[in-house]
Amino acid sequence: MTAVPVRPSASVVSLALPLIALVALVGLAVTTHRFLSLDNARAILASTAFVGITAVGATLVMIAGSGVSLATSQTATVAGMFFLATQQYGLVTAVPVALVTGVALTGLQGAVIGYWHANPIVLTIAAGFAIGGTTTWFSGGTPVYPEVVAYEVLNSTPLGLPVAVYVLLGVTVLAQFTLRGTTPGRQLYLIGSNRAAARAAGLPVGRVTVIAWAFFGACIALTGVFLASFNTSATATLGGTLTLDAIAAVLVGGTAISGGRGSAVRTLAGAVLIAVISDVLLLRGFSTGIQILVKGILVLAVVVIVHLHATRSHR
Amino acid sequence: MIRVDGLARAFHGVAAVRDVSFTVGAGEIHGLCGHNGAGKSTVVKMLSGQLAPDAGRILIDDTPVELRSRQAAQRAGVALVDQELSVVPALTVLENLLLGDIDAPLVNRRRAALARCRRVLDDMGLSRIDPGQPLSALSIGDRQLVEIAKALSQRARLVILDEPTATLTDVESSLVFAAIRRAVAATGCSVIFVSHRLAEVLELCDSVTVLRDGRTVATTPAAELTVDTLIVQMLGEPPRRLAADGKPDRDLAHALRISRLRVPGRLRDLTLTANAGRIYALAGQLGSGASDVLRAVAGLHPTAAGTVELHGRPVPVRDPVAAVRRGVAFLSNDRKSEGLFLDKSLAWNLTATRLPHLVRAGVLRPRREHAAARALAELIGLPAARLGDAVAELSGGNQQKAFVGRCLGRDDVFALLMDEPTRGVDIGGRAAIHHLLRRAADAGLVVMFASTELDELLELGDVIVTMRGGRLVNRYEGDVDGALLMRDMTQRLE
Repeated sequence: MTAVPVRPSASVVSLALPLIALVALVGLAVTTHRFLSLDNARAILASTAFVGITAVGATLVMIAGSGVSLATSQTATVAGMFFLATQQYGLVTAVPVALVTGVALTGLQGAVIGYWHANPIVLTIAAGFAIGGTTTWFSGGTPVYPEVVAYEVLNSTPLGLPVAVYVLLGVTVLAQFTLRGTTPGRQLYLIGSNRAAARAAGLPVGRVTVIAWAFFGACIALTGVFLASFNTSATATLGGTLTLDAIAAVLVGGTAISGGRGSAVRTLAGAVLIAVISDVLLLRGFSTGIQILVKGILVLAVVVIVHLHATRSHR
Repeated sequence: MIRVDGLARAFHGVAAVRDVSFTVGAGEIHGLCGHNGAGKSTVVKMLSGQLAPDAGRILIDDTPVELRSRQAAQRAGVALVDQELSVVPALTVLENLLLGDIDAPLVNRRRAALARCRRVLDDMGLSRIDPGQPLSALSIGDRQLVEIAKALSQRARLVILDEPTATLTDVESSLVFAAIRRAVAATGCSVIFVSHRLAEVLELCDSVTVLRDGRTVATTPAAELTVDTLIVQMLGEPPRRLAADGKPDRDLAHALRISRLRVPGRLRDLTLTANAGRIYALAGQLGSGASDVLRAVAGLHPTAAGTVELHGRPVPVRDPVAAVRRGVAFLSNDRKSEGLFLDKSLAWNLTATRLPHLVRAGVLRPRREHAAARALAELIGLPAARLGDAVAELSGGNQQKAFVGRCLGRDDVFALLMDEPTRGVDIGGRAAIHHLLRRAADAGLVVMFASTELDELLELGDVIVTMRGGRLVNRYEGDVDGALLMRDMTQRLE
């Protein structure tokens, strides 16, 4: 009922261009050998899941306008390590340990940003180094192997899909509901739209920011858990390029990096789109380098379109 | 010598300046006065190249000039120093002086520049300022002087000072004045001094031009003027009002009690009690502290100190969330950057501050929200059909109504604080907003607003409190004479 009407000039750019791109992509995809197969669809979803879970969490933080976390990979790594190190107590203990780790580390950063107005970029870079350093210290620089294996169930594929895909869908639904249907969700949009106005109106800027970052932390921890289970061990580089991959998925989903607009479902679409494009390129025999290059171009294109949309519809 | 001849300028068909003419001689300090809306700032914008006149001429040494941009004005020798300091705190005094200097050589010749900087500062009697100092180390007054020095170092023929002392203390102002006088004596440049502080205008200026309703009223040597005669020139027939219906409902339990409220550099020490059901008007120009009272009570001044009580319960200062929880609703004078969520719908804006009332177990009830938004739209007189529109698409008046509406119709708001309630609003919208505020007061709210406009103060305020220099000057009820208010707002305190 409260959809913001879009002026024609803006919608031409923000709707027509992606549509053309989508048609081109579909054309390219269906003509690709082996693209239209159930196995391939499964592969796409599976490769979406790990990054997707974190990206959905990052969406909340970005909508609040408090930017991005550059400590994501490190947080996923430490959560994954704690998860493996507590395997002997069973999943019932190991998963909560990982979640608490992620929520505490990331929620704390959110508190500093929300209550004390720290710059998120600077703060999360610092936090990233601190967490990464602690991780290396904790592991002594060697991979962490579980004493007992309790995580096997997380690598199973009920109904043919990895558990992570179900978790991704669950997280997306939860995030979307929080954003659209709850007070903190609405306040996230308002804070992202105009932070000074939110403060002057007495909205609980600090508390809502912490909620968003804590949710983000839980998502990062889940990704860490799945990464650790998938790799069966955890090194200091477990998180890999998660930080930027998650940001890319959020941006491709069309969430404005300046805040105020976006949604979890769109981030999911962004993550899937990236996975589909990577998949097509892979099946057509392009190198990893080309895949990354195309991902970069895609992010750039979407950011430009979103920016044009934002500036045109509000002048 | 600068001559302004028959300047006129309209905005969207509404004349802001109709016919303004005056002459400023070389080495003269010329005051430009007028009440809000008299056309001062439009004249300043035309002189500094920011606006093109619809009619009339600007002559420098009897040569008509066309100032198409601030750069063009600077090239013609006109420099503007306004409240928005355009000096950069992180740079040194010298670097600031070179900044934006169109004559600056491409290759920085440091020693020559340093010598010139030193000379300009010495001309102004500012030997205490070291060109190598970062600007951030200087007081606000000194920063303003550096800005004036910057104008002079760029060989300005005419320096326009637009409210340069509005945020300065009296001691700082007198330092600024001494420097201006020395600079004028040393360089022979002309100065136009725009200010609300009439006593200062008379102290500094050689002659004063008064504008009213976009026209020149008179140009008079300052020696022949007093603050009172100046006010008469500014207001014409001064607005007055007779005692209002007068129902001094002294419901003492329900009041906003402010005691010993202080904000460093802005508010000295303010004690004021505002009873529920009446409208309190804080009358003060920029820098008077009037808007700071409201901001501090709303928790938006991180350095505020003092006690505030609303209906007997303490309101912690410095905490906007707690202020809201105690029932304080604040409306900033900057609707765009500190008020509305411009890219969000009218409905979202109206319900932004009352979400906790529209939920069950933290989950928004869309139907309840829609009903609340509809009811509010009706209350403030906006069509329900526009609820889905982004507020950026509404007119200024309707935006302001939406802003006010956000605080109305709630049983958890006890005090409504508005800074400049009708800034940028047309006459119709203004009446509607005044009506809303009156209704809010009648419904038992404490209503307090800050304004610089005499008409608004007299029309809306049951109690008018004048402020100047961070202090309360006087308190008026019943019959009020606009000229008296003006006097309080513009006089220098003894």
